[in-house]
Amino acid sequence: MPAWLSPLVAPFIVLNVVIGLVTYVTLLERKFAARMQSRIGPYRVGPHGLLQPIADALKLMMKEDIVPRTADRRVYNLAPIVFLVPCMLIFATIPFAPGLGVADLNIGILFFLAVSSMEIVGLFMAGWGSNNKYALLSAMRAVNQIISYDLPFIFAALVPVLLAGSLKLSEIAAAQQGLWFIFYPVIGQLAFIAFVVSTLAAENRVPFDILEAESELVAGFRVEYSGMKFALIQLGEYAHVIGSSFLGAVLFLGAWAGPGPEWLGPLWMLLKAMFLFLLITWVRWSFVRIRVDQILTLSWKVLLPFTLLLLVSTAFVVVWRAGV
Amino acid sequence: MLDTAKTSKVEFDYSGGERLTMNMGPQHPSAHGVFRAILTLEGETIVGVDAVIGYLHRCHEKLSETLTYAQYPSIASKTDYVAAMTSELAYVMAAEQIGKIEVPKRAQYLRVIMAELQRVASHLLWLGTWCMDMGGALGGGATVFLYCIRERELILDLFESLVGARLLYGFYQVGGTRYDIPDGWAQKCRETINLIDARIGEYESLLEDNPFFLARAQGVGVISRELAEDVGIAGPLLRGSGVNFDLRRAAPYSSYEDFTFNVPVETGGDCFARYRVRMVEFRESIAIVRQALDRLPDGAISSRPGLKSVAQIRIPKGEAYARVEGPRGEVGCYLIADGSAKPYRMKWRGASFSNLAVLPHIIPGHKIADVVAIMGSVDPVFGEVDR
Amino acid sequence: MSNPVLPSSPTAKRPHGPEGPAPLRSSPTRVVGPLSVIRAVTKALWVTFLNLFRKPVTVHYPDEERKYPDRYRGLLALVYEKDTGEEACIGCRLCEYVCPPAVIKVEMLKTEKRNYAKSFSLELYACEFCELCVQVCPTDAIVMMKSFDLATADRREMLLDKDRLHAIGLQHQQSWATGNLLRAMQGPPKMARAEEVHAKPAGSEA
Repeated sequence: MPAWLSPLVAPFIVLNVVIGLVTYVTLLERKFAARMQSRIGPYRVGPHGLLQPIADALKLMMKEDIVPRTADRRVYNLAPIVFLVPCMLIFATIPFAPGLGVADLNIGILFFLAVSSMEIVGLFMAGWGSNNKYALLSAMRAVNQIISYDLPFIFAALVPVLLAGSLKLSEIAAAQQGLWFIFYPVIGQLAFIAFVVSTLAAENRVPFDILEAESELVAGFRVEYSGMKFALIQLGEYAHVIGSSFLGAVLFLGAWAGPGPEWLGPLWMLLKAMFLFLLITWVRWSFVRIRVDQILTLSWKVLLPFTLLLLVSTAFVVVWRAGV
Repeated sequence: MLDTAKTSKVEFDYSGGERLTMNMGPQHPSAHGVFRAILTLEGETIVGVDAVIGYLHRCHEKLSETLTYAQYPSIASKTDYVAAMTSELAYVMAAEQIGKIEVPKRAQYLRVIMAELQRVASHLLWLGTWCMDMGGALGGGATVFLYCIRERELILDLFESLVGARLLYGFYQVGGTRYDIPDGWAQKCRETINLIDARIGEYESLLEDNPFFLARAQGVGVISRELAEDVGIAGPLLRGSGVNFDLRRAAPYSSYEDFTFNVPVETGGDCFARYRVRMVEFRESIAIVRQALDRLPDGAISSRPGLKSVAQIRIPKGEAYARVEGPRGEVGCYLIADGSAKPYRMKWRGASFSNLAVLPHIIPGHKIADVVAIMGSVDPVFGEVDR
Repeated sequence: MSNPVLPSSPTAKRPHGPEGPAPLRSSPTRVVGPLSVIRAVTKALWVTFLNLFRKPVTVHYPDEERKYPDRYRGLLALVYEKDTGEEACIGCRLCEYVCPPAVIKVEMLKTEKRNYAKSFSLELYACEFCELCVQVCPTDAIVMMKSFDLATADRREMLLDKDRLHAIGLQHQQSWATGNLLRAMQGPPKMARAEEVHAKPAGSEA
């Protein structure tokens, strides 16, 4: 294999797997949500709806690409890409098994958090470029919300870092061989809950999806997008959700640890990520959303002090245990 | 042609003086029908609201001058299509008042049963759509919506086995009702309302202590008692603001005085108070239906012979205003009869039309997200607003 | 206008809303204790979780069909008389006059023995399914069926003429309601009892 090709193989495989996973995760969410609402989800397209995501993808590819006449074309066209790329980049540092990952950086988790915050730029570009008041309002709310919730997200994600003593994701996973961090007394559970809440907010999931409140802003920042651009934005959103689920699995649920032989590791990783994803979906379909000022209040007045305190106490606990 | 180049630039001035005019247009997932609200915003807060209605105007009042008393009740359902039974009742009662036509006791009890079942069905739809507006079509709100629709379908099944139709009935007729209950209907009705009674407890547990729901509903859209009495709203909006007024008590019609029931009144005036009023009304309506089924007298269902021709019912000269306590408030029908088979003039007092008048008083000062919560708790049906 | 605080309600912790363009303020958030939040959140999640295991209420139409009640108001049809097999419609036009949206158009054909309908057209796309035509028919000629299956891409297919109406009558199951039965049900008790003896079991659930 030529030298310039080998570094590209792993990302290529991971990207394809991720896109395939994202499409089928939409089906999983729809069926899970449907069962919670006393109905059946997609059923007729393929056996039990298994071909539904393919049909949706084909439909979106064949749709007409409508660009509003007064939209800022360059910003409008670039926005989905600027939104999508960070959402895909976050998969670069996630280890699916010992040694199986695209790039196991020394600053793994820092890279994840930093890159995932970049999608807000794409989001705002979409809202601004659409030249639509609904989209603009949604984009302004987005900037508010995601920036406010990135801090508790970082602090909650830093708790496992402190407990493992490294920013490298594979080392965090390895440190959980004995005890998964979610089972760590008190600190683990609190950090997990804070992580889930901040994830919900950072990804615009109900109860924090004031951003794209279908009943108020009619799809928010994506309201003017159709066809493939819309598909890219959807792809980015779900990729972010899955990425955060994988991150949660690595940080709290022991990554690839599980009964059985070692080559089952990636399967356990997938199952744990799907468990987290279903948890997020379960919360999504059970609650009404809260208003944007209430979201911000929750973030700055409740979640941030809480996670800060948690981080400091984790530091104390780690030092105390090292000393003991 | 609108100069889009000029209007598309919005000057952002951070001294706080920027006002944005936004249209929550007639095509909107939570406009509850076709309702246009032109909002003036400062940031996220609304400073002015201008309501535009009329997108569903279908000339009911003119239509009633061309249709006879036999034909119009089937059309009257289309005003408040969510609570069709109550709209028809007002028209039929007005005609009976002018013509001094007596309604047999069995027909009166049947009317009460259907009106109360319709109230339960309408409130189920209200709860579902309100939660859906607050939670999003793809969020937790949709869950409550589907649960409520699942229960509403049970009541519609009852109506279907009685009348044959699920949404627009044509059940009433001048002099009584058009259909009698089939065998086995009373038993099925009891089972259905028992099931719904249990399920309402489930919804309450899903919503009541929920901090997200409370944050959206408490303190939002407060209607003071003075405002409520001034503006002329009725129904749960009035009772949620502390005014103890229910037409079934104040001016009983159709044998309502025979039943014992409570009228819920809350003093909070906000969306949560109106929510509590309607939740209690669920249970009270179920109690009324149980009492009526237990004491349903035998007899005729109409004091006039069966309808054989279109001009069979002639009402002598006179005028009357009949009021009915619908799920949304007072539905009134003012009828002027001139001795022929068609009315001379008919005017609807739409409950939602009068209720909408309170919006410009309570919306300013709230955020956009509150507009949908307030609209949902006001519960307009635009068939009634625009007629 | 001064607004006194409404008394004695746990939710009336703030003065009423403005009655005009209001000074801008943000609504206060209610602070709930963490324990009650956790309890409420768990309760809500539990309710949705329980529903995961309830049987879905979906009816797999068109593979399965819901059981329609006896009085279902479906498609309209013209029927034949039971004893003679002749068309029941006598072209009296009572249904045409009573129809609120005026979708029926009938022409009468007079013969010595009895009258027929020369032409009978019903615009089903404008029909309200109010059953008034069924109610007034003196010979129980026009009835409604227990089916609504007439979806089509061309509206002209829903302009039913006499032949199609008769065909629909033979194709589907008829509902309980006919003119005489409905009128008997509505009349004063004496007439009702006498008719009920001769009619089909009055609207019993099938």
